[in-house]
Amino acid sequence: MTETAIEAAALGRSFGRRRRPALDGCAFRLPAGSVCALVGPNGAGKSTLLALAAGLLPVGEGALTVLGGTPAAARERVGYVAQDKPLHPHLTVGETLRFGRELNPRRWDARAAERVVDEGALDRGTKIRALSGGRRTLVALALALGKRPELLLLDEPMADLDPLARHRLTATLMADAAEHGTTVVMSSHVVAELDGCCDHLLLLGAGRVRLAGPLDDLLAAHRLVTGRADASLAPHTVVESRTTGRQLTALVRPEGPLGEDVQSAAPTLEELVLAHLRAPHAAALRLGGTREVAV
Amino acid sequence: MTAVTAERPEAAAPAPGPRALVRTVLLVHRSALWFWAMLVAVGAGCMLWATGPGADAAWAEYRAMGCFSDQPSLGCDMPGLAAGRYDTVASFGSAILGLTPFLAAAWAGGVLVGRELENGTARLAWTQSVTPARWLAAKLALPAVLLTGGTLLLTLLHRVMWASDGRLWATIGSRQWYQSYVFEANGTLATAYALLGLAVGALAGLLLGRTVSALGTAVVALAALLSALSWLRPFLWPARTLVAEDGYPPYPGPVVDEGAVTATGARVADPLCGDSARCLADTGVTGYYRDYHPSAHFWPLQLVETGIVLALTAAATLAAFRMLRRRLP
Repeated sequence: MTETAIEAAALGRSFGRRRRPALDGCAFRLPAGSVCALVGPNGAGKSTLLALAAGLLPVGEGALTVLGGTPAAARERVGYVAQDKPLHPHLTVGETLRFGRELNPRRWDARAAERVVDEGALDRGTKIRALSGGRRTLVALALALGKRPELLLLDEPMADLDPLARHRLTATLMADAAEHGTTVVMSSHVVAELDGCCDHLLLLGAGRVRLAGPLDDLLAAHRLVTGRADASLAPHTVVESRTTGRQLTALVRPEGPLGEDVQSAAPTLEELVLAHLRAPHAAALRLGGTREVAV
Repeated sequence: MTAVTAERPEAAAPAPGPRALVRTVLLVHRSALWFWAMLVAVGAGCMLWATGPGADAAWAEYRAMGCFSDQPSLGCDMPGLAAGRYDTVASFGSAILGLTPFLAAAWAGGVLVGRELENGTARLAWTQSVTPARWLAAKLALPAVLLTGGTLLLTLLHRVMWASDGRLWATIGSRQWYQSYVFEANGTLATAYALLGLAVGALAGLLLGRTVSALGTAVVALAALLSALSWLRPFLWPARTLVAEDGYPPYPGPVVDEGAVTATGARVADPLCGDSARCLADTGVTGYYRDYHPSAHFWPLQLVETGIVLALTAAATLAAFRMLRRRLP
């Protein structure tokens, strides 16, 4: 078993010299078997990171290890669904599955693929171009799951799905991950989509890692505090604070017991992420065996 | 996942095998392959008809018009209906061979590679268990085999048509062995140019990654290469020379060069003296020469050019693989 699914060290990637790098000095480690939410605002580098891990882009700087080797060497063991869910529009659903079977002869699991297709009650004879966006997503996911990957990289998988399909798909992915120990990395800019199905979080902002680690540990490392506007938050690290009238709301990383003049509560995933998105200059935090790299 | 991977030797043969790749290319590009099969069938049909019933009807008409003699008679310059029909169908057969390289370039640039890069289906293939290089190899190999088979069949039929109807062509048509569309269709060049079109198209597709621009660039680039090579064609094999003293020698084939010669054998520009003996004496012109290719030069010319075209094809293919490697880790 590969202990580490993905490990990045000082990973950077630019598109063009004049533009800001899409990824800049990223370092994190994702243990095998985890289900990781890859979160960040538009343009944070989520898609670039996933494409790099899928072996579709050359690594610019630093190193990226996927399943113990280079991304290109791991090609056969990695499933990837791109953001725009590319499929051959003139093939039928059945032919698209055949495409997957032919190109993954040693791994193809027809049942896993059929299960996803059946979830959408898709007719095998329907052409891909006649399908709605959500159903096309299901076919793309069926292709990725049929490959029986050890690492599944999903770029905005839920974007086109209705809430019910989203729910079902999450259940399928979780069942698959639990049954086969698949590592799943799922990107989204809608945090609510990912709540309840992920055990790891990787938050990117402007090409850098903002938060990385096991979700529970990250949540436990933060407190959402409220108090009077003049309450002192020293010596704790304040990620973000807002005052409304005389009321102060802040997300802090406590360095010890919080003072008695404030009330505190555990943040939700959404609160954690939103606070970090609103405060782009807050210090990065990596937990869980990641080598600390100065940001 | 450990159970699945541990049993699998990492050094096993690359998956998927060539057959699976061929089946995939057939699956994804079947409409183009059907179109090619149809085009070959139409071309073959045209040439078979022209060789058989078309030529017979044209001859019968020719005889009925009272034109048939050993010398083409002046009154029979206007071809009849059957001759016109023969001419149209035979030309159509040749035209398919002449058009194939451009169709191959447009398709390879636009559909085979450009569109796949543009709409992301190339990335879909590269995230299956196939390396991008094998993907491109399969996408080029199968069309190359089908293009070679189809063009060789059409070339063979074209040669049969040319051989059996040669006299008819000389009588009612004005086709000569060295005219581009006859020259290319009668030898290995039709096949070589079709393969060049495929390679140039794939290279344009990988360079540009867009359907329309790759399609246009591939066609323009192929047209430029083709016209450069057909300009170069007469110089690919040493020409024969005819020299005559009274005016120019006869016109035995495609002329590479012509002019006047002096007593020392030096070649000079024709001083346009006409019959003026004084002019000829002043300029020292003693005769006229013509460098030309006899029809026996068909194969040497054909094979040298085929070699050049295949070398260009190999270079374009290599460049295409290089471009692919630059795109990917």
